[in-house]
Amino acid sequence: MQKFLAPNRFYGVQARVVKRMSHPMGLDSGESSQPLAALQNHLGFVPDLYRAQNVLPNVLRAEVSLLNAVLFQTRSLSRVQKECILLVLSANRRNAACTAIHYQTLRLLSVPEQRLNRIVADYRQAKLSPANEALVSMALRVGLDGHPVANEDVGLLGAQGVNEEGALETILAVAVGNFLCTVSEGLCVEPDFPPPNLPEPPVKAAARALTPAALMEGPTLPSNFPPFLQLREQFGFLPKIFPSQSLRPDVIEAEAELVSAILSSNGVLRRIQKEKILQANDLGFVSDQGYKGSHLVEAVVTTGLACFIETLQAGLGLPELEIRPSPKKPHLSTGDPRQTNGELTRDADLELVAEVHNGNLDAFDELMNRHSRRVYRTLIGILGDPEEARDAMQDTFLKAFQHLPGFEGRSKLSTWLVSIAGNTGIQRLRDRKPWESLDEFGSGSEDGFRPRQVQAWTDDPEQLHSQAETRSLVENGIMKLPAKYRAVVILRDIEQLSAEESAAALNLGIPALKARLHRGRLMLREALAPHFAAVSSKSNAKGVMS
Amino acid sequence: MISCADFMAEIGNYLEEDVAAEVRAQLEQHLAHCQTCTVLVDSTRKTLKIVTDSGAFDLPEQAFKPVGERIMARLRASTK
Repeated sequence: MQKFLAPNRFYGVQARVVKRMSHPMGLDSGESSQPLAALQNHLGFVPDLYRAQNVLPNVLRAEVSLLNAVLFQTRSLSRVQKECILLVLSANRRNAACTAIHYQTLRLLSVPEQRLNRIVADYRQAKLSPANEALVSMALRVGLDGHPVANEDVGLLGAQGVNEEGALETILAVAVGNFLCTVSEGLCVEPDFPPPNLPEPPVKAAARALTPAALMEGPTLPSNFPPFLQLREQFGFLPKIFPSQSLRPDVIEAEAELVSAILSSNGVLRRIQKEKILQANDLGFVSDQGYKGSHLVEAVVTTGLACFIETLQAGLGLPELEIRPSPKKPHLSTGDPRQTNGELTRDADLELVAEVHNGNLDAFDELMNRHSRRVYRTLIGILGDPEEARDAMQDTFLKAFQHLPGFEGRSKLSTWLVSIAGNTGIQRLRDRKPWESLDEFGSGSEDGFRPRQVQAWTDDPEQLHSQAETRSLVENGIMKLPAKYRAVVILRDIEQLSAEESAAALNLGIPALKARLHRGRLMLREALAPHFAAVSSKSNAKGVMS
Repeated sequence: MISCADFMAEIGNYLEEDVAAEVRAQLEQHLAHCQTCTVLVDSTRKTLKIVTDSGAFDLPEQAFKPVGERIMARLRASTK
């Protein structure tokens, strides 16, 4: 939870990047003008925080939808109450840009400056009503310390006439506040107005004995509630934080829109990069990657999303692992028993291995379910035949069971299984009929490949075909690759194994693996080019290589 | 100035951001003047993104079920 307190350690080059990303005349592109107009309407001005995200119009639109659902609507809490929560949260994160935004908004909502200054300096000395003081105190515990809303909070708020929906609205406002602070810190946004003096040191909420409250949920939403389907699509399962907010289906809808806008493949970052950013949930990680321009903006809003999710988890008292994404595609969650990630399920794998050692065969069934996708992809990469790959899975898992007593946990179980699958596949390949090259996995030069398809590709190639069509094109393209390239591309680019893991699975050295990967990627590009090349001849290269 | 063949020899490392600074500078100098290699870099990057996001070769749960059942049947029979 220290991440919430991550200070402005991101200044420098990035700030200049953001300035360049904004329209030079302060105008905004057609796509982003509508959400910016909505902000002008609700806030009375358009903060630079949002203009800095102009390059991601879908994300900007989704953010405004979320602000509308969480902040601009008056339900249990008033707009002023929620802006006050955001003001104190931002000030105590020492985020000058967001503090200035909420300070100015509250001024425009007719809260006197003198009162706002007292609230920023120390809300406990600002003579807030008991209800408002309890709300702000709870907000800081959730937003800065990562504590859940406690039974004591609910009791205290109830005595002041604030119901459980008000408690949920507070958590939501804090999650939005942490999202906005993270984005502004990541993009080094300068304050739109001179901010008030920030409290030094930050005001700590009073420590309390905490018993997480089971907040009232609304009527159970059907499993085919469209935002749930959208979230399942993105995470591979439905994280509990979303049905836990069933009191506010409108908010869940806006959250699903934001999650989809940030994680969808329309941006410039690859999905796997976004998943790593979500996992790290740290602007320092983004900084270390050296992203620039629109890559940086996308990386920062992805970190903002991680912070938003983490705040919701904390406030709702849900376990952190519930939402933590897997570093691998296609499933983000450890909640999916068939997902194939390594790090997060490592302990769970070892527990299951121990159970198998104790004679529990069902535990082995569970391990197979967890790792079947990865084993299958390894085998189809080598064998190039779905039927034979399924057949070889049986050999692989039987060998794994036989040798499991010797598995000491020095590597991840998934890596160990992939190695067995690799050896099984290569052996099968070598047992094939003589006209199939026995040297498919032997050494050989990777030099001499000259691309022929040199026409420019369309800017947004994934929009040219449906997801199913694209998948089919990729599968067909990969299946046409010679086995030695096919296996490497599948393990590295689809299964996202590390170079070391892939090399170990295929009994290759790292240099050979890299050479095959590069060649395989170029060959695959060649196969896909006719389907993704731009139609216009203007954008085509001349096709002459020096 | 390096040739397209030189560039092609390094394109994989360049895309992986696994080249020394001076090599990178030479490659980018080449890219500044070579539309063909620029297209190759751009389209290979797009290929990678498409492939990574494709979910290709996913094994449907129902496809693994009979395989898993066969394996478990063999294991149960052998451990009786």
